[in-house]
Amino acid sequence: MNAVTPMRWYTAWWNRLFFWIAHKRPATTAGLVTLSLIHYARWVIVMPHQFPKLSSDQPQEDVKYAYMIFFSNFNGSWNQYVDSFSSAIPGGLNLFWFGSIKYPKSVPMLPFHRYITSNQIWTDYYYNAYPMASSNDVKSAKKVKDSLLAFIGDSQKAAPEEFMQKYNRLLIDLQHDISQMGPNPVVSLSASAVERNLRKEGVERKELSD
Amino acid sequence: MANKSGNAYALTVLCPILRGVPSDSPAGNSGQTYTALLRNVLQTLHVNEESPMAKVPNTYLCRFWVLSDVPYQGKPAFLEHLKSDYLVFSSNFHGELEPYLAGMWKALQEDVLAILWHCVGHEAVRDAKSFIEYIKKCQVTTTFFFNGSTDEPLVEQLKNLYLKQEFSRFAFENQGKSASELQEAFRGFVQRTQPTNLDGPTWAPGAYHLDRVEGASK
Amino acid sequence: MTTRVDLDDVQGNVVKAYARYGLVVARYVFFHVDVPVAGRKFVADIVPLVTLGTPWKDLSKTPRVGTNIGFTYEGLRHLDTPEVTLHGFPEAFSMGMKARREIIGDTGPSLYHRWDPVWNNQDDNKQHVHIMVTIDGKEEKDLDSRYQEIQRILAANPGVSQLVGHRGAGGDNLPYQPAAALLSTKDNLGYPGGKEHFGYSDGITTTFFEGCGEDPNLVIGGGKPTGGDPRTPAGWAPLAAGEFILGHPDEAFEYPEAPGPPLFSRNGTFMAYRKLHQNVGSFHSYLDEEGARFPDGKEALAAKFAGRWRNGAPLVSFPTEESANRFVAELAPLQVKVWTQSATPQEKTRFAELSLQLVAFDYRDDTSGARCPFGSHMRRTNPRSALQFGKTNAFAVPGALSNRRRILRRGLPYGQVDDPTRDDGDHGVIMLIVNADLSRQFEFVQQQWMNYGNDFGLANDPDPLLGNHGTNEGRLGGGRMTIEGDVVTNKPPYFCNHMPTFVETRGGDYFFVPSLTCLRTIALGIIDPT
Repeated sequence: MNAVTPMRWYTAWWNRLFFWIAHKRPATTAGLVTLSLIHYARWVIVMPHQFPKLSSDQPQEDVKYAYMIFFSNFNGSWNQYVDSFSSAIPGGLNLFWFGSIKYPKSVPMLPFHRYITSNQIWTDYYYNAYPMASSNDVKSAKKVKDSLLAFIGDSQKAAPEEFMQKYNRLLIDLQHDISQMGPNPVVSLSASAVERNLRKEGVERKELSD
Repeated sequence: MANKSGNAYALTVLCPILRGVPSDSPAGNSGQTYTALLRNVLQTLHVNEESPMAKVPNTYLCRFWVLSDVPYQGKPAFLEHLKSDYLVFSSNFHGELEPYLAGMWKALQEDVLAILWHCVGHEAVRDAKSFIEYIKKCQVTTTFFFNGSTDEPLVEQLKNLYLKQEFSRFAFENQGKSASELQEAFRGFVQRTQPTNLDGPTWAPGAYHLDRVEGASK
Repeated sequence: MTTRVDLDDVQGNVVKAYARYGLVVARYVFFHVDVPVAGRKFVADIVPLVTLGTPWKDLSKTPRVGTNIGFTYEGLRHLDTPEVTLHGFPEAFSMGMKARREIIGDTGPSLYHRWDPVWNNQDDNKQHVHIMVTIDGKEEKDLDSRYQEIQRILAANPGVSQLVGHRGAGGDNLPYQPAAALLSTKDNLGYPGGKEHFGYSDGITTTFFEGCGEDPNLVIGGGKPTGGDPRTPAGWAPLAAGEFILGHPDEAFEYPEAPGPPLFSRNGTFMAYRKLHQNVGSFHSYLDEEGARFPDGKEALAAKFAGRWRNGAPLVSFPTEESANRFVAELAPLQVKVWTQSATPQEKTRFAELSLQLVAFDYRDDTSGARCPFGSHMRRTNPRSALQFGKTNAFAVPGALSNRRRILRRGLPYGQVDDPTRDDGDHGVIMLIVNADLSRQFEFVQQQWMNYGNDFGLANDPDPLLGNHGTNEGRLGGGRMTIEGDVVTNKPPYFCNHMPTFVETRGGDYFFVPSLTCLRTIALGIIDPT
C-alpha cells in the first residue's frame, strides 16, 4: 500500500523530529513490534525542493507543500487490518501523520481509513522474495535455523537416549515455530483476480529485452 | 542513518519521467506518453520467481509505481501540481547501497536501461558506476524505516525458511519413533537439507507455490 | 459510554439466544419474491408475528414460539428497495456468501456444488433465496402451529413462493431446514445445556454488549477484557452495541457503516446463515486413533482441539481430565435444580460461583499454551487479551486486536447421529452469526483465524475443528496441529497429522435483519433515502 499526503513544510520539521525520536527510542515502536504483522514500513518526507531535477530541460518543481509518502508491506490487506492498527496503536499513527493536511485522527476508524485510501496510489509492480512467508515466519525461521545448528552441534556425539532427550527439548523450544507455510490467504477478490489474470497462459508477457 | 535499520536498507528513489510523447516510440505505441509507456512496461514484467528482481541479490521486497501528481485534499488546502511525473522505486534489501546497485546492474543491465529509457537524464547511464551515480541523484532519504522482519542477507532468510518448512515436516513425520530410529532419521535430514549450505537446497526467491519453492541450487 | 438500545425495535433473535429460554427446536424457512407488491404484503403480514428484543424478565411466562425475518441483498432488491439504499450496503452483503467463498474458505469439500439444492438454483431466477423466516419454539407442536400460520400468509400472497431443497434424513427436497438442540441430562451440564454432534457442550459463553438487556453478570467472560482480574467483574466491560447493532457507537467510537437513510438501518444488523455438516465418523475415528497415541488420552485430545473439555470445562482453568470431571460432577446436578426451580439458596449461590468458572478466565497464566493450545478453537475464535502475547503495555487496550472481531452466535444443531461411524448421515449445526460488519467480523475471523494461523504465530495452520483441511482421502486429510508441551515439566509437544476436514459447509447466505421500524417501511414501500 502506498499513500501520499501533503503537509506544511514547517510542520514537516516536527514530524521528522518525532520520527527521529521513534528511531532512537524502541519503546515508541513497541506496539508496532507486538503487532508483528509488518514486514517493512517506511515514511518518506519529501521537502518541496527535494524532488530530483536531473537536467536543465526538466522544469523545477515549485510546490509549496512537503509530501509524505507512506509504504507498507504486510500480510493481509489494508482493508482487513486497518482496524487492528487503529485499535492497537492509535497514538503512534497520530504521531506519524501529524501535520498531514486534513488528517483526521486515527480514531474513529472510518475517517482515518477513508483519508488513507483516498490518498492511495496503485503499485504498478510488486516483488516479494518470499510471498508465502509472513514477517512472523521470517523471524521464526531464523530461530529455527539457529536452534537447529546449536542442536546439531550439541548432539553430535550423543547416544540415542541422550539424543532423544535433547531433541525433545529442541521441540519444546521450537513448538511455536514449526507450523507449515503456504500461499497466503486471498486478501481481496480483486487482487486475486488480478493475480490470476497475470498468470494466465497465453497472455503475452513483454520481454524487457525486446 | 534513517535509511537503515540494522543491516536492512530502505531505498527510496524518485526518477523524473520525461514529459510528452517520444519521437522514437516503439512500434504500435505512437501517441502514448513516456509515462504511459513506462506503466505498460512495469505492468507486464514477470512476477514471482520469474521476476527480474529475483535475480538482484539481497532484494527482500520492492515495488515500482508512478507518481503522476500530488493529491488535492480539498479546501482550505492549496491546489498544486507537479510539473513532472516520477517513477517511484522503493526497495528493502540487505546491505549497503552501492554493492546492491552494482548487483542490480550486473544482473539486469538491459532491464534497467529499458525502464530508465523513459526517465530524464538516462543517457548518462552507461555502466555500473554511472548507474549508481544516477540512482543517488534520484534518491530521497527515508525519514523513518520500520523493519518488522530480520536484517540478514536474503540467502540466509531463504535458507531459514526452507529449514523451518522441512524441519516442521520432519518433526511431524517422525513422532513416535524409537530413539535410535529418530537419530538415524535426523542424520538423514541433516544430510538432505544441508543446514549450513546457503547455496542449496533452499527456497527460490519469489516462489509463490509450494511446488515451485525449492529452486535448483545455484 | 451510555448507549441506549431500543430493544423493542431490534429483532429478538439478535439479542436473545432463544435456546436459553427453552426454545430448543427451530425451522428455517426460505422464500422467493416473484412479485414485489406481493412480497411487501407478505412482509406486512409477517410483521405482527415478529418477536422483538424486549427482555423476557419473567421466565415462567416466556413465549412458546419466536419468529424472525431477514433478507438477502437480492431479496431487498426484489422488494423495490431504492437503488441508493442498496448501494449503501457493503460488498460482502451485496455479493452474497457464495460469491465470497475464496475469502471465507468455502472451497474444496465446502464448495457450493455440494450444498443443499435450495442454495444452488442460480440458473433459475425464480429460485434465489430472498427472505428467511426463522421459527423457534419450545416443542414441535409450537413450531408447527406457527409454521401453519405462515403457510396461510403465503397462500394469501401468491406472488411469493416457498423454496424447497433442504437435505435431510427424509431426502433432498425438504421445504424447510429443521434444527433441534441435543438435550441430555448426563454430564453435559444438564438440562437445558446443549451438546453438538461431536460431543462437545456448546453455547457456553454469552457475548455481552451494552444495552443487550441480558443479566448484567453475563459481562464476565462475555464482554471485552479490561486488563483487570478476569475472575471478577473488574476484568470485563460490555462491548459497544455498535459491534452488533447498526446505528449505535461501535468499538471505534463511531456508527458502523450502514446503508441510508438512517431510519432504514438503525437497530438492524447482518446475519450469516451457515449449514455446517459434521463428519461424525471421521471425527470419532480420528479421535480414537490419535487419542490412543496421545499421552493424556482421547478426552484430553478432544479438549486440546476445542479449548474446552467436551463436558464444557475450560482447559485453561481445568488442565486435567480429573479436575474437569470433578467440576462438572458438582455443577451439573446444581444446574438441573436451578432450572427446575428446586434449588436451595445455598445451592443457587454455589451454582452461580461454579457457572462463573466456565467463562471467567483469560490466558494470562497460559502464555506458552501448555494448557490451552494457541491453535485450539476457542482460543482462535475469542482470544480475549491473548494477542498481546503477554506484553501488557503495547496496545491502547488489552483487547485491541479482538474487540472488533467478536460475533454473536445463534442457531442450533440439526439432524441426529444414527451411526457414529459414518460421515454421510444428516447431522451438523445451523450456525447463525450476528455482527454489524460481515467483512470485519465474521469474514475476518473465518479467513484469518479459522483457515490461517499467522496472527497466532502458527503460519498456515487452520483451526483443527472448523478449518478447511482440504478434501479428505478416505479418513485422512491435510490438517495438522501442534499441541504444546510444557517447558516446566519437560513434556514435548505432540503433533497431530493428517487431520481430515471435520466440518463442511452445505449451504447458506448473508441476511440483513431489519428493525421493526425498517420492516414496516419495507412492507409499506416507503423508504425514501432522499
